[in-house]
Amino acid sequence: MKPDIIIFLKRIVLFMLLFIAADQALGFLLEHIYFNQEKGQFAQTTYSVDRTHEDILVFGSSRAVRHYSPAILSKAFNMSCYNVGRDAQMIPYYTAIQDVIFNRYKPKMILLDVNSWELAPGESKYEKLSILLPYCREHPELVKYINQSSKWEKIKMLSRTYPYNSSLFILGYNYLFANRIPADDHGYAPLIGEMTDAMLEDHKRRMASGEEAKNDNSRDIDEKSLAYYEQFLAKTASSGIKTYVIISPKILNENLNYRVEKLIEIAGRFKNVKFINFSNDPRYNYRYEKFADVFHLNKQGAEEFTNDLIPLLK
Amino acid sequence: MLFNSLDFAFFFIVVTIAYFLFPHRYRWILLLGASCYFYMAFVPIYILILGFTIVIDYFAGIYIEKSEGRRRKLLLICSLVANVGVLVVFKYYNFLNESLSYIIGDFGYKNPIPYLSILLPIGLSFHTFQAMSYTIEVYRGNQKAEKHFGIYSLYVMFYPQLVAGPIERPQNILHQMHEKHEFEYARVVSGLQLMLWGFFKKLVVADRLSIYVNAVYGHPDLHNGSTVVIASLFFAIQIYCDFSGYSDIAIGCARVMGYDLMINFRRPYFSKSISEFWGRWHISLSTWFRDYLYIPLGGNRVARQRVYLNLMIVFIVSGIWHGANYTFIIWGLLHGFYSLSGMILKPYREKLVEKIKINSHILNVLNIVLTILLVTFAWIFFRAATLGDAWSLIRNLKSFGEKPFVGDGISNMAHSILAIVLLFIVEYKMEYITDKFNFFSHKLAWVRWSAVIIALFIIMLFGVFSGGQFIYFQF
Repeated sequence: MKPDIIIFLKRIVLFMLLFIAADQALGFLLEHIYFNQEKGQFAQTTYSVDRTHEDILVFGSSRAVRHYSPAILSKAFNMSCYNVGRDAQMIPYYTAIQDVIFNRYKPKMILLDVNSWELAPGESKYEKLSILLPYCREHPELVKYINQSSKWEKIKMLSRTYPYNSSLFILGYNYLFANRIPADDHGYAPLIGEMTDAMLEDHKRRMASGEEAKNDNSRDIDEKSLAYYEQFLAKTASSGIKTYVIISPKILNENLNYRVEKLIEIAGRFKNVKFINFSNDPRYNYRYEKFADVFHLNKQGAEEFTNDLIPLLK
Repeated sequence: MLFNSLDFAFFFIVVTIAYFLFPHRYRWILLLGASCYFYMAFVPIYILILGFTIVIDYFAGIYIEKSEGRRRKLLLICSLVANVGVLVVFKYYNFLNESLSYIIGDFGYKNPIPYLSILLPIGLSFHTFQAMSYTIEVYRGNQKAEKHFGIYSLYVMFYPQLVAGPIERPQNILHQMHEKHEFEYARVVSGLQLMLWGFFKKLVVADRLSIYVNAVYGHPDLHNGSTVVIASLFFAIQIYCDFSGYSDIAIGCARVMGYDLMINFRRPYFSKSISEFWGRWHISLSTWFRDYLYIPLGGNRVARQRVYLNLMIVFIVSGIWHGANYTFIIWGLLHGFYSLSGMILKPYREKLVEKIKINSHILNVLNIVLTILLVTFAWIFFRAATLGDAWSLIRNLKSFGEKPFVGDGISNMAHSILAIVLLFIVEYKMEYITDKFNFFSHKLAWVRWSAVIIALFIIMLFGVFSGGQFIYFQF
């Protein structure tokens, strides 16, 4: 038995050393590819985290990325603007990004696009923060956000390869075929195309079903997200930044629900923060020609909305 | 505690090191304590249910061995009733009550029996069936009653197979719990490699495919036929990788400590018929039903019509075993129907094949494809939340050919396809090319080590690490 154990222990140590070396080498290569992306979501996030310097910043999820045109905002205010929104992310992400950006500089104006579903309970919004893993080495302040998804994230972060989990395809494609990827306009990536009447009818049917209605009217709130939202606004308010919390247009009009009331109530606690709600605006509700899908305006709708928004920001 | 969590990784390392450090006579205490801790990491209070069945079956085994005649049979029945009773209360009570409400509601009556708000204890059907196999084997005289209460408890609670099998037989595992297991290098490495393969199946394949499957099956009325076909084929692969991945981890984990658990899967999607499929899928359960239900009902040694009836009974019970829902019963019925049709049509099929003189390789491929399609169709009922959902999905099949839903971005679909391709290559090699490309057992150390390192990086880069539950835990 003893010789077997000794051989095993020796080999396991050697194996671990080899594995660590391979992990460092592969991680270094992936890091190089990741931080040298010229276009696409990774490049946009890297810019948001490391290089933003604009006067106006737009925060939010895919609805922020698709709905707010920095070119129109820049022109209206004669200030530079960048859209730091990211697809499929929610309040914890904006707060983490804000933390990193504010350590570097303070913008003059912030637009924060929010939605009631962001306050719904669920762990997935914290798991999705793993997209920030590549930045943790340079920005340790992000670690506390990433640790929300699991107590083991710190251990996993010991690996240099793990931060690129599930991103290899996009990473490789964006690196090799950068010329095929449409360039974003200061973080803004409008959607092309129009929704159809049939898509609208399908969506109406789904929204009317018990499950969706129950979700929308639920009083269950993710307290952690609410705290992050409050932290976000407290930080902008204490820095004296003009901040607008906005619910951008929706295809179906939406009654004020408990979660929206909470968003409004918290925004109301801060002096420099104004809440703007477009969710019941008849210029957009049921106007499927202005939407690309049930959640997002198309380019025409987005630019119209940005123009409609400007007078409310002045 | 899920196998696919770092909690388990630490638990496994600590328990295994302690296991080899402990003197043999105390190892059962360590393993029993570790198994209790493992089980209590889910819902602590449910250990009492396990405790209840363990005490009943332990004494039942001893008294059955000592008794003869009617008393012996009566003791067996008492033990089986206690075990099945636990299953009925915790798994089927609300389902039966709801069915009763539905039936008497048709006659204008209100069901006065209250519903129970209880969670299903994890892996209940697995450890109950394992416990039942013990008393049945003692009754049959194939197994001596275990006098050591701790060892018997360990037989039911052995943590690698406690919550999702393989459902062991006492003849295979009980004696191993008395034997001294030395640290054997080759065995430990082979166990770890099997665990690695299990993790690949679970993290890279099953949990990846589940993202698309959940999106489609979560909204059954919204998707077209092409999407339903893709999601159902994905589910067929997902459930295989989820469950066989668990079994591989369990078998590997036990092997590291010197225990041999029974094999549970043998690449079922290479089956050329439904009967072959059941010889390769969840073997520990299908042989359980064969030994303790099908054969006692008369098996094949009765009139033809009775054989058909026995077969249908086994498949319906198998469906019910999986869950308290009509979807599982339909799933079982479908498999019963497939098996019956296979038996009835066999002579005609053979004649037809002889007549058209089809190449045997092509015939094998056609049979494999047909088996996969039949099994996948039945999985629709298994995966759907309700019969209504299953019907919606089947109805939507008529729009097959329309552009399918891609899911949450092309990246996930690309990862899913890559995972399936890798799985297919490895399984094909295991099935048909057993003597070549054995990188994990290659004579050159650098080949073996490179293979393991590459496998680890594939898991790290392509795996889904959000701690997805194993599907079979709910059974």
